Amino acid sequence: MTRWLVLIAVVAAVLLGAVALGPAPLGLVDVWRGLTGSAEGPAATIVRDLRLPRVLLAFLVGGSLSVTGAALQALVRNPLADPYLLGLSGGAGLGAVTAIALQLTSPWAVPVAALVGAIGAILLVYRVAVVTGSVLDTRVLLLGGVVVGAFAASVMGAIMALSPAPEVRNALMWLLGSFGRASWQAVAVFAVYAVIPLAVLYGLARPLDLLALGEEPARFLGTDVERTKRVLYLTASALTAVAVSLSGIIGFVGLVVPHAVRLTWARLHRALLPAAFVVGGALVVIADALARTVFAPLEMPVGIVTALIGVPVFVLLVRRWAS
Amino acid sequence: MSFGLKALLLAAALALACGERPELATVVDHAGHPVRLASPPERIVSLSPSLTELLFALGWGERLVGRTRWSAYPPEAQAIPSVGDGLDPNLEIVTARRPDLVVFYHTPANAAAIARLDDLGIASLSVRLDQLDDVDPAVRLLGRVMGDSVRADSIADAFQRELDRMRRRSFDVRVGALLLAWDAPPIVIGGGSFLSEIVHLAGGRNVFADLRQPSATVSIEAIAVRAPDVVLLVEESDLAVAGRPEWETITAVREGRFVRVHGSEFSWPSLRAGQAVAKLAKALSTGSP
Repeated sequence: MTRWLVLIAVVAAVLLGAVALGPAPLGLVDVWRGLTGSAEGPAATIVRDLRLPRVLLAFLVGGSLSVTGAALQALVRNPLADPYLLGLSGGAGLGAVTAIALQLTSPWAVPVAALVGAIGAILLVYRVAVVTGSVLDTRVLLLGGVVVGAFAASVMGAIMALSPAPEVRNALMWLLGSFGRASWQAVAVFAVYAVIPLAVLYGLARPLDLLALGEEPARFLGTDVERTKRVLYLTASALTAVAVSLSGIIGFVGLVVPHAVRLTWARLHRALLPAAFVVGGALVVIADALARTVFAPLEMPVGIVTALIGVPVFVLLVRRWAS
Repeated sequence: MSFGLKALLLAAALALACGERPELATVVDHAGHPVRLASPPERIVSLSPSLTELLFALGWGERLVGRTRWSAYPPEAQAIPSVGDGLDPNLEIVTARRPDLVVFYHTPANAAAIARLDDLGIASLSVRLDQLDDVDPAVRLLGRVMGDSVRADSIADAFQRELDRMRRRSFDVRVGALLLAWDAPPIVIGGGSFLSEIVHLAGGRNVFADLRQPSATVSIEAIAVRAPDVVLLVEESDLAVAGRPEWETITAVREGRFVRVHGSEFSWPSLRAGQAVAKLAKALSTGSP
């Protein structure tokens, strides 16, 4: 119990620290007044309407990606699984690039198109992997995800090469991941939406433990394996699809945080999933804070920063665990 | 071979080289390559819309046999066959136009294409054209290559005088402008772009003039800190920043202070810089409070 309290305290400190950091030179007093609502003016606006929603969205998205990664790694029993493995990023990218190539300028055009593309890829991969009746073959799921993703990426590349609008190249920047679009609206949309998939995945903690042993043992131990697999895949993908549409592709978090938590915290999903959520959220919050401050006023794609800080930490963990 | 004979041959070669076309023998382009031309080019492929425009402005438009698909000005350029993209050009299409000169926008990215043309025995010319200060030397260089420095130099002189006159103007108040190139992620025009100087000459101030890059991805918070008076959009397509909650923190966006200018004079540095400045000055004076 104590270690949970310590973890939560550390994560809370990370969130507060991230709100205090930014390209605008605000003192701690400004930040505090902005947070508590006892001030008006540009500084309060920056804290309340730019930094706070951005930090919260980064936390929710990072946490969701980690939980999704943990669930998918157990589902396909492959340590390389991550939330984007199953063709989702390709579909989202294709949707976004198409929207920009068609010059749809509505504020929500690109996120909605990315969501549609991601859901299209999910359903296509699902259709490919459901063989003979209703059996979801996880090996076919993996292969289907990889080829559908590659195909979508190729179509996206073709559109970018042929499009007369130079802006289409900027879609790539969007894909690299950023929380620049964060607003209270985006946080609210994601928070409301994510509750159900996260609850469903947490509810499947015990079947996930069993699935990680293999489908046969899981079946013997009383799991409805086929139903669990289908629910897992669709829930995890639906959660990632919305994360991608709001923040682009933030690689690496969903791959590495689950492993890191398994190595240091807990192997059973009842503890693994919540821990992965807060650790993944905190990692992305830190990465985003660095992305917007280190080279300020320039901003780096957050997906690059997650890998830059995550890889060395992970390598150290794996080395220690192996020895 | 005796020393005397060698000297004699060398002198003869020099006399031949200098005698016929003294200008052509000595031209070195902005990439540092000597331009190998026996006579003024008759069939030119231009791989840069800005150089296409300059060649037309100097009266050599009819010698163009290829242009990029981005060549929007002058309208006559549209009649010239397109060879596709100017960066990473398709050399098969370029050579099929049988050019005796291919003009490039000077960037390291074109080095491989230039070397390949060299192998094929086709002359190339790299011209730097990033800033307004590059227009004058670009015009003079084209004049030397085309073998008519007199015409080119007088046009360059006139342009430089106009530029100097614009630079001497002073403004009591400068409108702080955010030059927005893209909305998500926010990409702004920095001090490294000629547009920054166009804005300055028009009585404005690029709020990101301190960035050395031509363009850069920045955070909305960084934009909020610099509190632009207006948002300047030079793109043909409108950006969907108005009405998006995260952009509402920028006062100029919230209050709808957008200034829009269209036209290829804002796409690259050209002899039309004066027109661009006048157009923008008018837009800034009517579009801002």
